[in-house]
Parts: sequence; structure tokens; C-alpha cells
Amino acid sequence: MPTEIVPVGTNINFLGQRKIALAISIALIALGGIMAAVNGVEVGLDFAGGTEVQLLFSDGVAVDESKIRDVLKEQGFEAPQVVRFGEADIAEFNIKFKGVTDGSPAALAVAAAQEGVDGEQVAVGLEANTQVMVLERAVGSSIGDFTEQRVEYVGPKVGAELREDGIRALLYSAIVILMYVAFRFSSRFAPGAVVAVVHDLAITAGILVLLGEEFDLRILAAMLAILGYSLNDTIIIYDRIRENMELHTKADLEETLNLSVNQTLSRTVLTSLTTLLAVGSLYLFGGEVIQPFAKTMLIGVFVGTYSSIFIASPLLLFLEERYGDKDGPKRKGPGINKAVV
Amino acid sequence: MGGPVRFRAISVGLLLVLFSVITAGNFIPKDERIASNFWPDEGLRLGLDLRGGIHWVVGVELEKAVVRELEFVKQSIIERLENDDVTLERAVVEEGELRLTLAADADRPAAKEAADNTGVLGSADEDGLNLTYELTEDWVVDVRERTMSQVLEVLRRRIDDPQRGIPDSVVTRQGDDRVLVQIPGEQIDRDRARTLLKSTGFLEFKIVIDMDGTAEALLARYPGGIGDDRIILKEYDPEVKVIDPETTQEIQAYLLPKVADITGDYLDDARLQFDQQQRPIVEFRFNPAGGEIFGDLTSKSIGKPMAIILDEKVYSAPVIRGKISTRGQIEGNYTSDEAADLAVILRAGSLSVPVVIEEERTVGPGLGQDSIESGARACMIGLIVILAFAAGYYRLSGAFASFALLANLVLLVGLMSLFEATLTLPGIAGLVLTVGMAVDANVIIFERIREELRSGKAVRAAIATGFQKATWTVLDANLTTLFTAVILFRFGTGPIKGFAVTLSIGIVTSVFAALVVTRLLYELYLGKRTHSSLSI
Repeated sequence: MPTEIVPVGTNINFLGQRKIALAISIALIALGGIMAAVNGVEVGLDFAGGTEVQLLFSDGVAVDESKIRDVLKEQGFEAPQVVRFGEADIAEFNIKFKGVTDGSPAALAVAAAQEGVDGEQVAVGLEANTQVMVLERAVGSSIGDFTEQRVEYVGPKVGAELREDGIRALLYSAIVILMYVAFRFSSRFAPGAVVAVVHDLAITAGILVLLGEEFDLRILAAMLAILGYSLNDTIIIYDRIRENMELHTKADLEETLNLSVNQTLSRTVLTSLTTLLAVGSLYLFGGEVIQPFAKTMLIGVFVGTYSSIFIASPLLLFLEERYGDKDGPKRKGPGINKAVV
Repeated sequence: MGGPVRFRAISVGLLLVLFSVITAGNFIPKDERIASNFWPDEGLRLGLDLRGGIHWVVGVELEKAVVRELEFVKQSIIERLENDDVTLERAVVEEGELRLTLAADADRPAAKEAADNTGVLGSADEDGLNLTYELTEDWVVDVRERTMSQVLEVLRRRIDDPQRGIPDSVVTRQGDDRVLVQIPGEQIDRDRARTLLKSTGFLEFKIVIDMDGTAEALLARYPGGIGDDRIILKEYDPEVKVIDPETTQEIQAYLLPKVADITGDYLDDARLQFDQQQRPIVEFRFNPAGGEIFGDLTSKSIGKPMAIILDEKVYSAPVIRGKISTRGQIEGNYTSDEAADLAVILRAGSLSVPVVIEEERTVGPGLGQDSIESGARACMIGLIVILAFAAGYYRLSGAFASFALLANLVLLVGLMSLFEATLTLPGIAGLVLTVGMAVDANVIIFERIREELRSGKAVRAAIATGFQKATWTVLDANLTTLFTAVILFRFGTGPIKGFAVTLSIGIVTSVFAALVVTRLLYELYLGKRTHSSLSI
């Protein structure tokens, strides 16, 4: 006997739960929205601009977050953030700051250093770079030796552009999906797919806000991966719905949808499982830099699976009941196997 | 899917062997790979986040080039009008416009004709005696393009210099007004690289009019002002003590003519040398035309100090002892690295407009190595767990799927190696994600086959119908994902592009693996015999 993760003949009334599901989804999105409005959204370096330096201190250097923070404050670095990076026994820190306060020791040191480099030709980019030099000198002299692991600087102009490109990527993806689903299925299938995708992104973003995660390019990439994943899931259920609508033209639509979701349920669960295994190993073993990506994906896979069952199908039901053809669904695409007989 | 099974098996087999070799080639060091005839020369490139290095997005201030062009046009209009004995009340370049004010209305035709004759100005915006011009759109594009290629050229010569260039470094244009600079590994200190990049490299020679300890002291000597055609410049390094032999006073500021007697444009070569005290200096040589001007200048100014100025800073001001024509040297308080870099900058020519670092991502090689190791570990663990799961759940069919998954990975990495794609950390994430999602196509097919078997179909028929019904589902699901991956590639920047590339190729290879490789394995397994049951 084959192993069955979902027993044969399982018939859960998913569509019947649609009101509860809708309530849960709206509540989650609202919660994320309220948190974002109250606490604000943490925007990472990529989109907000600023400087980030990662330093690995040599063995035996007595250092902790507050020590570094004190040095930075004393020197006049604006909005310094210091976070320990990696394992606790390694003295590695991520240091972030916005700039230097006018007239502070750091600002004077920056000005002096620039005077030496190229005098009058002080420009934004160079300024940030010299700030890193000044920071490293200050930390080196008052705390101890270190190696510079990473420096990231994003200027205000680039930050704004990255932000724009990110939004554009999400928007264009939604449009292309809408068009493709409308073309391959029917125009009544498309909104469900898009709403499901938007729903997933909104909830995932909301959960990230709740967790206080910072939005940067890695998160954006994960969001787009979720978009692809959730869509994949929705399309497979839709594909089955279309097939069943052809087979059971007389049947009650809600029943057909339920049947389709149940028929594809084991596939849905299995694929979520294998994807979770991959993303989970990425989260556990992929290292610090990749973790925000893996974390976002983990959330997204759960939400994406949920939405294709509880959001995409009910929306289709709603649209079909309201605007559907009287004589059955639109016939389109080679996915239909009627002609084979 | 036609064709005899054996033929397909051989072609797919050969393809997989070929790609396995290409994939394995990535684990062989590059020089060995190139030396041997067996391994392919191409391979994956490691992104800077994995191998460490400097990534810069450099903005080019093209607006300055446009303003300078307008200044140039203004000058030529004034000269033309002088020939016609017409003098303008006022001529300035402001806010990207050329603004002329006529002294009298009678000058209007002459002024307009002079402006038209330049051929690069649009039509005048007239307001009383004021005429306002802008460069034509075509000409602005032309100026910007010319400046961009000049800047690219100079930066390439500095960073990709044939003699002292940085191996494997990349200097490419990005968009309208940006240059992407990538310097892999830890070949150069960041501050040095920055100087190489940012120095305008504008070398001038001027005869010193006057000098003093500070700019203030110098200014105080000229109560009536120093005059429009003169400028005060400072010593490049305040640590350097220059002593005036006559007054034994320390010199830090120089009064100089605004226009240089000769500039670095005439340089033929510049090199690192050492003086008698073994201090590093930069020796330069003028081309014949420059030598003539320089010889003239030095023979006229014997006994006077001549300032050698780089980017508006005085490096030294030696007293001219006799006529010098082609050779000279620039002394300074620098290390041999700094002197060598200065020589590169001088040899590469000057940047016509300043550049600004708009984005920087520098990764130490240690961190990159860590990232590769943890990425590879995550990939391996994920792969093993999924393979084990598939084989455990679907038994023999699961083993087929596992084989297809491995084939998928080999094809994916092999294709990326063929394209010499850059593997970044997000790219590794894409790889792991592809492994997880690639099983999906097989799951769809297997679940279909199970359904067909349950409905009472014979093994062979169940497999055929299962594949037939699943094919479009798999294609639909993957095509939509492919679209988003392509959009991500189009709008993604830097490392995100790496993720999009892996994802896009991965989608194609996983569809191939599931629809072609798994199918083939089934057909080979079924053979000509009849099967009463299927391990699935």
C-alpha cells in the first residue's frame, strides 16, 4: 500500500469555512497594518540609505554592544545601532549609522581627512566613506584590534531607486499574472489568483512587521519568491477546478470547488513540505546573511498554502456565481482532455 | 515525446554526462581547468559577496559637463560678437541656461545670429533685452554621452591599467549616468582604491606669483583683492613643511594665476621612481608638443618657483634652475604605493567631471568563504532530506524523482557554468529553493498517476494518462513563476539578479527533469513487460 499523507477520499468542507478564513485573513492584515502604523516599519539600508559596517574583533578584545555604542555616541555618529552578529562566543558586530552630527569630533575628523584626500571636491559618496574610516579609527583606538568584514553604503539617491524598482517589480508581476491567468483560464479566475498573491504578501509583510524585521533587498527577493510559490499553488488548484467544472457541469459549484481542493490536497501538502524542508535547511544552516530571506520564505510558504485553499477558491466561487456563464465555464486551453475520448 | 525509448535514453544520458562534467569542472581550480583538455574552461563566477571585494556604483556628475559646455558656448558667442564690435551687458550660465543681456536693442540681430551660429542652442526665450538659451536636446545627449565614455575610459585605464591594473576588476557602464566598479578579492586597500577612483587627476603647472605661511597672511598682503585672474591654493598635505630658502619661513599657501601655463593633457608617461634619498617620487614625461611649451615656460622663468598642482592642491614648488623640456618629477610626502597610484592616475588622464560613490558593498574574503560554506551546507542538507523524503514516500517512483532532481541540479549548475553566470549568496538561496520546489512537478505527476490507478486503470495506461493530464498543470504553474522570475531579473539590482537567474534557469530545468527524465525512467522500467502493480 502506498503511503498517503492525506487519506484517500478525504472530503473536508474547505469552502464552508470561507467566512472564518476571511475573518482571520482580514484580522491578520489589519493587525500588521496597525502595527506598521503605530510602530513604523523598519526599513533596511538598501531602501533607506545609510552606512553599515561589520567588524570582527580579534581574540581577547573586551568588547560588547554598549561599549561600541558609547564610542559612537561620544564621537557624534547619528542614530548608531550595534548588533552582535553570529554566535555569542565570536566578537562580531554589525554597526549601523546615518551620518555624523555637525561639529562633533567625528565630523571634524571627517572634514580633516577629506581635506587631505581631495580638498574642495567633497561629495556625498566620499563623505560616507571617510566616515567609515573615522569610525574604524575611533573603535580601533578605544576598544581594540579588528578586521573589517563588510562595509555597505547606500546613498539616498540609490536607496530611493531601489525602493521604486522593488515596488515596480511587484506591480508588474501582478499585472503579468493577471494577464496570463485570464488568458489560460478565464477572466473570472484571474482576480482570485491576484488577490491570493496580494493577500500572501500583505500577511507575510505584516508578520515581519510584528517580528520587527528590517525590510531590505533580501526580504524583497523572498517576497517575490513567495509570489511565485503562492501562484504556483493557486494555479494547480485552479487547473483542477477547471477540469472538474467541465466534467460536472450540472454539479453545484461549491461542491465542485471543494472536490477540487480535496483532490489536490495531498499534492498541496507534499509540495509545501518539500519546500519547507529546503527553506528550513536554509534557515538553520544557511548562515546569518541568508536568514532574513529564509525566515520570510518560511512564513510565506505557510501563508501561500493557506491562501490558495481558503482565499483563491472562495473568490472564484463568488465571481463565478455572480458573473459566470449560464452554460458552463469558458473553454480554453489544451489542458482540457475531452477531445481524447 | 515520440521516438524510440532507447534513442531518447541515450541522448538524455549523454546530455547528463556532459553537464555532470561541466558542473564538476567548477570544483577544479581555474588554471588547472584551462591547462587540461578535459575540463571546460568556462565555469561559474563567484559574486563579490562570496569571494570578497569592493562593489561600487559610481555616479557621474554629468550636469557639470553640460554647464561647462554652456560656458564654452558663451565664450565663443562673446568672441564672435567682439569681432562685430558688439559688447553684451551681461552673459552668465545659470540653472543650466545661458542668459544674455543686450546693451542695446540694436545688438539683437547680431547676438541672435552669433547664438544661432553655434549650432547647439535652441531658440531664444526673449524678455525685453534678456535672451535665454538652452542647449538643444540632441546636443545635451551628445555632451552627456561623450562625457560618459571619457569617464569610463579614464576609470578603465586607472583600475584596469595594463601594467598596474587590478586583475579581474570590472568597470562597466550602468544606466545613463553610472559606472559599476567591481574589484574582487583583497587586492587593494579600500582607501587606496577610492583615491584611484575619485581623484580628478587634473595636473597643472603654474609659475608662483607669491607665497606665505597661511592663506590669510597671503590675502592680507593684497588689500585691494588678489584679482579675478588669480587664485590662492594650499599645500596638499599640511604635515609637509616647505621652507622658503630666502625668508626661512614655512610656506603653506600660494598665489597663482588662474589659468595654468601647461596641464597634464600633454603628459606622455608617468612612473614611480626613487630620489637620491630613496624617497618615492613620480617622474613624468611630456609629449613633444608639451615639451616645447614646457621648455619655453621654464627658460622664461629661471629663478622663480613653479607650482606643480594636482586637483587644486600644490604638491611641490621647486625653483626653476634652468630650461627643462620633457622630464620632470613630483615630490611629495607619500609612500611608494601612493606614488605608484598617482602615476597611474596621471597616466590615465584626468576625469572631466567629478564622480561620486553612490553605493558601496565591500565584503572581506573571510566572510565570503563562510557564506560559501554555509550555503553549500544548507544546499546539501536540504537536498539529502528531500531525496530521502521522496524515496520514502513514493518508493521506486520516488527514487525516479530523486534521480530527476539530481539531474535537474546538474543541468542547472551546468547551464549556469556555460553562461558563466555569477553565483551570489542569494543565488545559492535560489538554488536551494529550486531544489525544494522542483519536486513539485513530480508530486503533481505522481498524484495524478495514483488517482488513475485508483480509478482502476492498468499501470501503463495510468502512467500515460497521469503524465498527459499533469503536463499542462506543470507548465501553467511553472510558466507563471518564470514570468515573475524574469521580472525580478529586469528590476532586480546587484545580488538580487543572481537570485532571479538561478530561479529562472531552475524553473526550466525542473520542468525538463520532471517531464522528460522521470518519464524516460518510467518507460525504461516498464519495458515491454506487463506490470500488475507500480511502486508509487
